Amino acid sequence: MNASAEPAPPLSGRDAYRAELTALAGADPAIVCLEADLGGRNHPFQQAHPGRFFNLGIAEGTMIDMAAALASAGLRPFVSTFATFVAMRAAESIKLSLGYLGAPVTIVAPYAGVSGGWFGTTHHCLEDLAVVGAFPGVTIAAPFGEEETRAVVRAAAASGRPGYVRLGRNAAHHSLPWQGDAVPPVVWQGGVPGVAAGSAAGGTAGCLVSVGEYGTELCLAAVAAHPDLAHAHLCYLDEAHLRVAAAELAEHFRELVVVEEHRSWGGVGSALARLLPHCAVHSVAAADGWPSHGGGREDVAAEVGLDLAAVLRKALALGPGPRLVPRHEERRAA
Amino acid sequence: MTALLAERARAARALVVDMAASPTGCHLGGGLSVLDILVVALDRAERDATEVVLSKGHAAAALYAALHVSGVIEQNPAPHYGRAGSPYTGHPGPAVPGVRFPTGSLGHGVPYAVGWALACRLRAGSGTGVPGGARGLGIAVTGDGELQEGLVWESLQVAAAQRLGNVVLIVDANGGQNDGYVADISPLPDLPGRFAAFGLDVVEVDGHDIAALRDVLAPDRTDATRPLAVVAHTVKGKGVPAVEGRAAAHYVTITPARAAQWKEAIA
Repeated sequence: MNASAEPAPPLSGRDAYRAELTALAGADPAIVCLEADLGGRNHPFQQAHPGRFFNLGIAEGTMIDMAAALASAGLRPFVSTFATFVAMRAAESIKLSLGYLGAPVTIVAPYAGVSGGWFGTTHHCLEDLAVVGAFPGVTIAAPFGEEETRAVVRAAAASGRPGYVRLGRNAAHHSLPWQGDAVPPVVWQGGVPGVAAGSAAGGTAGCLVSVGEYGTELCLAAVAAHPDLAHAHLCYLDEAHLRVAAAELAEHFRELVVVEEHRSWGGVGSALARLLPHCAVHSVAAADGWPSHGGGREDVAAEVGLDLAAVLRKALALGPGPRLVPRHEERRAA
Repeated sequence: MTALLAERARAARALVVDMAASPTGCHLGGGLSVLDILVVALDRAERDATEVVLSKGHAAAALYAALHVSGVIEQNPAPHYGRAGSPYTGHPGPAVPGVRFPTGSLGHGVPYAVGWALACRLRAGSGTGVPGGARGLGIAVTGDGELQEGLVWESLQVAAAQRLGNVVLIVDANGGQNDGYVADISPLPDLPGRFAAFGLDVVEVDGHDIAALRDVLAPDRTDATRPLAVVAHTVKGKGVPAVEGRAAAHYVTITPARAAQWKEAIA
């Protein structure tokens, strides 16, 4: 057996969440972990901290409100169940407990988008950003890969603020690298355009903006096929973070193609279009229909118009030329 | 102490009538039916980390009055009830001293109380390492009409499964709801039996008998394993003869002159 330096395969988002929270709770006795019967058997938090792990059964609204009360008593609750069950069924509890009350509860929501694949329409969630994003004060993150997920969980535990973390199912990735501890508002693939060595510079054929696990997968595939494309990945998606991200994106580009596994209405594309009235923001998002067939995530995503071909159609239609001259180069030329 | 609490309840009833004489009026009938329960529960909460959650948040006027006569709110809330810029809204929120959770969308007060009870359990030092040392109850005060909300039963299911004996659900069973009588709209036959089937201990009590309410709430249940349901039989509009027992007293707006007459007649 060759004990080579093969890097460990990455964990899926939800496994990364469980591992990171379990580790954090070892040093922070205020952390408690709540599940609504979708945490699986042998949850690592339950094994490490059985007195602070509670499978409440199938009771999503109760779980959110109970978590708010735990937070009010000085504890630090993390709750988890599938995105659609928490963001849709328990929406009023999120509004009152995380929004109005501002309770420092972190909701971790796997199975977002159509990551459930063949599980069917009841298990898909293409509307959660629209719903949760409407509640002021809730930090929203859709991390890509194990490292981002762990960083988001660490930041949530330290923040003392309410949060919603959108995850997929079992896909496992390494994250795009970034500088510093916290995930910045914009993670540029290859570094800041025109600044970092090897980054996509002026004259690129388009700037892709990826959102969430599958949106980022698609953008990475697009860049692999067309290395001249610039790619900015957004992890944090609430209004406060999007304002910062929008300013940074506009610093470099006036045209964006936002790729997200979410409806257009209430998604990040529509938010960036609102925040950047002088930029052309194009959207590759879920179409208006209902994904109602089986298959893997790729199949179901394609059913609602999300695939690499759709991304490339939008990105390559922009074409090279003055529409995509990075602003710092404009200033330099002036 | 019972006499003191009875005097507090009488004073609070006068304040609720004053709030019915505000430009907005208030939920008078259910406010007067729940008042004795609130006064006793708030007194119980002074003893330890017990939290009282008025889940039937439309009885906000009664809560504000009870908090005032109990010394939690220094300011008399009646002149400010419903006014622009005032925190004393028609359903209570955390801007009001002594109110920890927003209620009024019915059902939510129960899971808040269940979560509080779990926090007390954890902080009581059960070996989890959670900091604290608090003991106490999570008391949810609901209406009987409110029991039509699914969230109530979902939360009781969880409370029983988690063996949270320090959850206390007090039902202000006045028989009324917004559009009429509970019995006509969506009846709740054998309420004690329903709670028992969910795994709760059950007691029935006269919801205007302050001594009886005190006895029910007295024990430290932090280490108990079966939640407690208290079916408190009450009268809508209790204490004000003009509205006592009348379903139409659910929401009332009156003139200051009428309020003065009604306050004189408070039992």
